[in-house]
Amino acid sequence: MEEMVMATLDLITASPHSSSSSSSSSSPTTDNNNHPSSSSSSSSSSLCLSSISTRRTDLSTDLRLGLSLSPSHYSTPSREQRSSFDWPPVKSTLRCTLVEKSQISQFVKVYMEGIPIGRKLNLLAHHNYHALVKALANMFRTTILCPDSHQLPLISGNNVHVLTYEDQEGDWMMVGDVPWEMFLTSVKKLKITRADRC
Amino acid sequence: MECCNKRRMMKESPESNFMNRRGSSCFPDEVLERVIGMLKSRKDRSSVSLVCKEWYNAERWSRRNVFIGNCYSVSPEILTRRFPNIRSVTLKGKPRFSDFNLVPANWGADIHFWLVVFAKKYPFLEELRLKRMTVTDESLKFLARSFPNFKAISLQNCDGFSTDGLAAIAADCKNLTELDIQENVIDDKNDNWLTCFPESFTSLEVLNFSILHNDVNFDALEKLVTRCKSLKTLKLNKSITLEQLQRLLFRAPQLCELGTGSFSQELTTQQYSELESAFSNCKNLNTLSGLWVVTPQYLPVLYPACANLTFLNFSYAPLDSDDIAKLLVHCANIRRLWVVDTIEDKGLEAVGTHCPLLEELRVFPADPFAEGDARGVTDSGFIAVSQGCRNLHYVLYFCRHMTNAAVATVVQNCPDFTHFRLCIMNPGQPDYRTSEPMDEAFGAVVKTCSKLQRLAISGLLTDLTFEYIGKYAKNLETLSVAFAGSSDWGMQCVLEGCPKLRKLEIRDCPFGNAALLSGLEKYESMRSLWMSDCKVTMNGCRLLAKEMPRLNVEVIKEDGSDDSQAERVYVYRSVAGPRRDAPSFVLTL
Repeated sequence: MEEMVMATLDLITASPHSSSSSSSSSSPTTDNNNHPSSSSSSSSSSLCLSSISTRRTDLSTDLRLGLSLSPSHYSTPSREQRSSFDWPPVKSTLRCTLVEKSQISQFVKVYMEGIPIGRKLNLLAHHNYHALVKALANMFRTTILCPDSHQLPLISGNNVHVLTYEDQEGDWMMVGDVPWEMFLTSVKKLKITRADRC
Repeated sequence: MECCNKRRMMKESPESNFMNRRGSSCFPDEVLERVIGMLKSRKDRSSVSLVCKEWYNAERWSRRNVFIGNCYSVSPEILTRRFPNIRSVTLKGKPRFSDFNLVPANWGADIHFWLVVFAKKYPFLEELRLKRMTVTDESLKFLARSFPNFKAISLQNCDGFSTDGLAAIAADCKNLTELDIQENVIDDKNDNWLTCFPESFTSLEVLNFSILHNDVNFDALEKLVTRCKSLKTLKLNKSITLEQLQRLLFRAPQLCELGTGSFSQELTTQQYSELESAFSNCKNLNTLSGLWVVTPQYLPVLYPACANLTFLNFSYAPLDSDDIAKLLVHCANIRRLWVVDTIEDKGLEAVGTHCPLLEELRVFPADPFAEGDARGVTDSGFIAVSQGCRNLHYVLYFCRHMTNAAVATVVQNCPDFTHFRLCIMNPGQPDYRTSEPMDEAFGAVVKTCSKLQRLAISGLLTDLTFEYIGKYAKNLETLSVAFAGSSDWGMQCVLEGCPKLRKLEIRDCPFGNAALLSGLEKYESMRSLWMSDCKVTMNGCRLLAKEMPRLNVEVIKEDGSDDSQAERVYVYRSVAGPRRDAPSFVLTL
């Protein structure tokens, strides 16, 4: 039995993936590990710790880049790939919902033509144009033509509006032409303008 | 003796005839069956079946429910042979760590071949409860066609199906009382599955579709809720607005369990007061969940319904400490509370103050990957809850760091813990005040909490933790270990010391073949063992498989990994022999 244990330890130090994780990069957790233990055990625990710190850094980078966290991601589990999503042990469904929400909210000012006082709306609380238009129509009690409905403003009158936005370059554009995600990155302000003005 | 009749040709063996003549259990089969049939507990039934052959038979004929904790431990043929009259089946499939993506897709646990056998042997099947199984649309359609009395389906953490499967259930299960879809990976294709419930269908009592992403057909939903007068549980998804919620509550004031939709529509004053009165009309509400996307100003509409609540599941609603405190003032009867750590320690203090009857607390991390000075809950919040809630017996607590002293205080305040799951999210994190390992914390837990059944450990831990567990945790049934231990000795302590251990799941620990093989005799008394990213080798596993032929020893092989290492090992007892449906990446040794 002892031989097997020793052989196991030899295999561990020789195998490729352990050498990559026991890199010389010092992580804060290993530095704090001043618990007196036998050298083999501390090296094995530091193997785990440093590899986890690297994985977690990778993951936060992923999150900041807005990479997808869909639960169907785990179909090809090579060690590096799956290691991003398996710690801490929070279920995928819960994790996706909460991370979605913990992202900084994106509040933008919304004005309706003719009303000097504006409102503020969190764009990230909606998932697509349809939801946004529905929310605004409710907020301002008016009809807002949906960006993907091709109704031209044959309806004249004061209570039909369209949604426009100011982009990063300061131009006023019609909402709905670009994909939702792209819209989120370029929108600065929203304005609900009368349909017969556009 | 004549009183022991020959109804079912049980009298094959001369021994049983002899026993009958001795008159030791001289009841007619019907009486024995009727008496034993009243037993509900699985453990009691198991004991009863061991007494003698007649009792074994009476038990197997009278049993209506069966629970199978590991779908590969038995085959549907063996099951149906032993229990001919089953009406309700509960099956669990994949190992629990599949929730955290440690089990590849297409691993198995497909329900289909079970259904095929059930269709022949249990045509009167009424209930199916599945956890972590693969369920395809084809299976759901087959189910809907094959069981005319089918009443209840509950799918938890399952995958493989879409709303098409739900449509088949809705259309064909005329007697359906329960459709409960929880936390599954589901392909949300269309919003029309709800329209598949026929106009004449009125028997629904439980409807849970909270996990679906897309819009549902609200018109169909409202009509369904209106005509199903026995509806007790309704859990909506985030597409349902507050206005729609109000309409549904108006139709179903008898609800006991409600999962709301989104809680953040802009409401007029009138809409707000209508919603508030809708909640106050729900006199029977004991469970509240949902609250996707909360606008905290609207939480007060819930207050009229809070007094009778016993279970509040806010695990999808990241509230802050003020919001939760204002709400909890009204929730004096809460027994179970699930929250997000955005409530912070201050929120937990409010829990301790306002919820003295609390028995279960789960605190989930809003941002598991945050670095730097991320917020959340700490040791002081944990202590605050334990001071106010002395009946606490179940805790799941995610935090970034902890101290040994705090945990010791918590269990001193609440010595009746049966489930203690502490997840310190930084792996290998020591006591942040003393920089020592967290051994003493878990030592305190196992020494103080003699009723402990389930334990999950985390933080910097040496073999000492496992020594404590093996020495003191005599009622422990489930143990989850990650990034812990110093040597094989740790795992050995647990295997030798915990007589009631049933499930052991280990990841990223320095336990090798010596540890694995020290449990040779133990594994047959356990449901399963999972070890991933430990030091176990293929040779060790082969040795285990050779010594213990009644265990299934499976290794999940990854691409591009060292052939001699066994990165993911799953060991379980089985009377069905090795799996016949194992995919290529699962090696049965």
